Amino acid sequence: MKLPPFTSSRPLTLGVELELQLVNTYDYDLVDSTTDLLRLLKKKGKDWDVKPEITQGMVEMATGICVSHADVFEQLDEIRQGIVECADRLDIGVCGGGTHAFQHWSERRIYDTPRFDQLSSLYGYLAKQFTIFGQHVHVGCDNADEALTLLHLLSGFIPHFIALSASSPFVQGNDTGFHSARLNSVFSFPLSGRAPLIETWDSFGEYFDSMMATGIVKSMKDFYWDIRPKPEYGTIEVRVMDTPLTIEKAAQIAAFIQSLTRYLSLERPYAPRETDYLVYTFNRFQACRFGYGGVYVNPRNHEHRSLSEEILDTLNKIEPHAIALKADEACAALRREVSNASSDVGWLRQQHAQTKSLAEVVQRQCARWRV
Amino acid sequence: MMGHTQWLFFMRIALSFLLASLAGEGVCRLARMPRITGYALAGLLLGPLGLDWVDGDDLPDFRFLVELTLTLLLFELGVRVSLRWLKYNPWVIASSLLESVATFIAVFGVLMGMGTEVKSALSIAVIAMGTSPVIVLRMVTEMRAQGQVTQRLLVLCGLNTVYSVVCFYLIMGWFQGAFHGQWFTALFHSFYLLAGSLGMGLVLALSFKLLRRMFELSDEQSAPVLFGLLLLLQALLVALELPVFLAPLLGGVLAKHFDPRPHLWPRHFGTAGSILTIILFMMTGSLLTRNEFVVGVGTAMIVVLVRFVAKGLGVLLLGPVSGLNLRQSLVLGVVLIPMAEIPLVELMDMRALYPQMGVKILPIVFSMMNVLEIVGPMAVQWGLIRAREFQEKTS
Repeated sequence: MKLPPFTSSRPLTLGVELELQLVNTYDYDLVDSTTDLLRLLKKKGKDWDVKPEITQGMVEMATGICVSHADVFEQLDEIRQGIVECADRLDIGVCGGGTHAFQHWSERRIYDTPRFDQLSSLYGYLAKQFTIFGQHVHVGCDNADEALTLLHLLSGFIPHFIALSASSPFVQGNDTGFHSARLNSVFSFPLSGRAPLIETWDSFGEYFDSMMATGIVKSMKDFYWDIRPKPEYGTIEVRVMDTPLTIEKAAQIAAFIQSLTRYLSLERPYAPRETDYLVYTFNRFQACRFGYGGVYVNPRNHEHRSLSEEILDTLNKIEPHAIALKADEACAALRREVSNASSDVGWLRQQHAQTKSLAEVVQRQCARWRV
Repeated sequence: MMGHTQWLFFMRIALSFLLASLAGEGVCRLARMPRITGYALAGLLLGPLGLDWVDGDDLPDFRFLVELTLTLLLFELGVRVSLRWLKYNPWVIASSLLESVATFIAVFGVLMGMGTEVKSALSIAVIAMGTSPVIVLRMVTEMRAQGQVTQRLLVLCGLNTVYSVVCFYLIMGWFQGAFHGQWFTALFHSFYLLAGSLGMGLVLALSFKLLRRMFELSDEQSAPVLFGLLLLLQALLVALELPVFLAPLLGGVLAKHFDPRPHLWPRHFGTAGSILTIILFMMTGSLLTRNEFVVGVGTAMIVVLVRFVAKGLGVLLLGPVSGLNLRQSLVLGVVLIPMAEIPLVELMDMRALYPQMGVKILPIVFSMMNVLEIVGPMAVQWGLIRAREFQEKTS
């Protein structure tokens, strides 16, 4: 397959995808009910975009093309309600969160499609370990070269996205101590990480062709990069976020990314360069491990500061753009969270401390997802 | 000091138990059949039809254990019946009513057509409504099954057990009235049995919730407490002369409704549960005498078939509107096949109270029960594999 041409799309439009957990209502483990849920949703006759994911017990919901934070929220809210209604009819629970707190990867079953079967035979247990739940945000770009440049500029803010969305402290029944343990599962894939610093679509096409020639990739889907271009949609797709516990938070994060992209696109404070990536994996690790409390190293002036400071600073810089996009309320909500050091991870750990039961934590996650 | 006869009795029972458990492992490994089919086969082999090591006379010694087993399992089943779900998806109740009523009418009709007298036909039809909680729960646990068919199997099983037991007591009340001409007393008694069971279920659910909250019990810690409560319940039910089976089932339903938090204690009851199941299966095998088998097996086979068709059609008809696909609806009809052992103890009582009726009903019911204890688990296994709702064992 050739690299498809980059479709032009309206700049700063948004598309949000959320991967969700389906659980039973007696012990709150993941349940293989994706097929049943999709069948009931189909009967509703709405054109909601809800798809299966790699294992049974996961489902992905997506908005159409949105122009604003309010738009994102309304679309997510409508689909969420539809999913909750259908899930109620099946006696299953739905919730957010980047990982399921205590599921065992070996009990997962691959969703039966040719692509998932092929991934499963290639990656073996990694495919089942990939039962993790992320939020993906697409941002529209009008041309390919601009998209690649924005991709690399946004790469500097990966720690921000991770810390804001983090909701996966528990893995396989244990508290990992991480804020986003989900990303550790992504890093084990051979083609994960950052995209190579290439800023023109022609050169990117050459890179893609040579990767194709090696036989290790067949399409863009084989790259598990933190941010990757999606030429068919004319977007770049930010993929590092955990699925937050509420759609409010998911919509706020989309609004933050939109405002930030407008800032980078209009003010263009600097040009991307390879040395920006020297601190990339360090910063990303700090965000995964410690959330807002992590260290953020500025690749330009080498200053070390706390990630919460850095996020608040970024929120200040992008404020005019947030106002222009009507995303200012959403950004203000994020600012309050960072200032109060409250987060989904904090909430999850608090529930666990209260109930001493991860199953009850999942039950409360489901209750939180409903409202 | 243990007396001579007691020593022999224990030896006989111990060897029977060992044989039954090995039979379970044997059929599981050699024929890939469910363990409990092996227990049922061993029960038949050990009973009057085979070696005659265990028979109906032993039942009084085991009555307590049999009832305890059923109490635990029925409570566990009750917890899996979510009233909230039935509110969100009333079609599940509709399909439950349809399959039960269809079973009742079909079995009653066929028995009448074959010349069975009304009271016997009614009793057998009422018993035939129920699906076996023991087989269903054992199979679901053993296969670690989960999914829509499993979920509905558990709920329909819980509901039709309730219908079956309630109707059984109503009919018994009616018989009593007819026998003695005391209608009011009979009706009042039936009402007492049902309302009393509901009341005791409520008391059980509330006290479980209260204790769990007062002592902030985790799941693991709550298992022994729950066990104690269920033992206490059993004692109270006997003291109040209430049926032993309705209250724990209703109690389970209410416990889950009042306290929708996860209930993980069935995992902690696991081993004890499977030991008690073996005893229960040994006992059913031991009840069927050669004479009864010869008299009853023909009719029993016809009733088993009619019952299967009625249940199957019932859930097939309303499966799709309740959210299943066609295949799942078909499979659900198959997995409902196992028949309840609940009336076991009641039937023994009935045999004592109304010997003439016992003679007419028991051969058919015991033959059905034994046939379905062998076929039923295999049907559930086949169905859950077809529905892809089992989990491979991981070591």
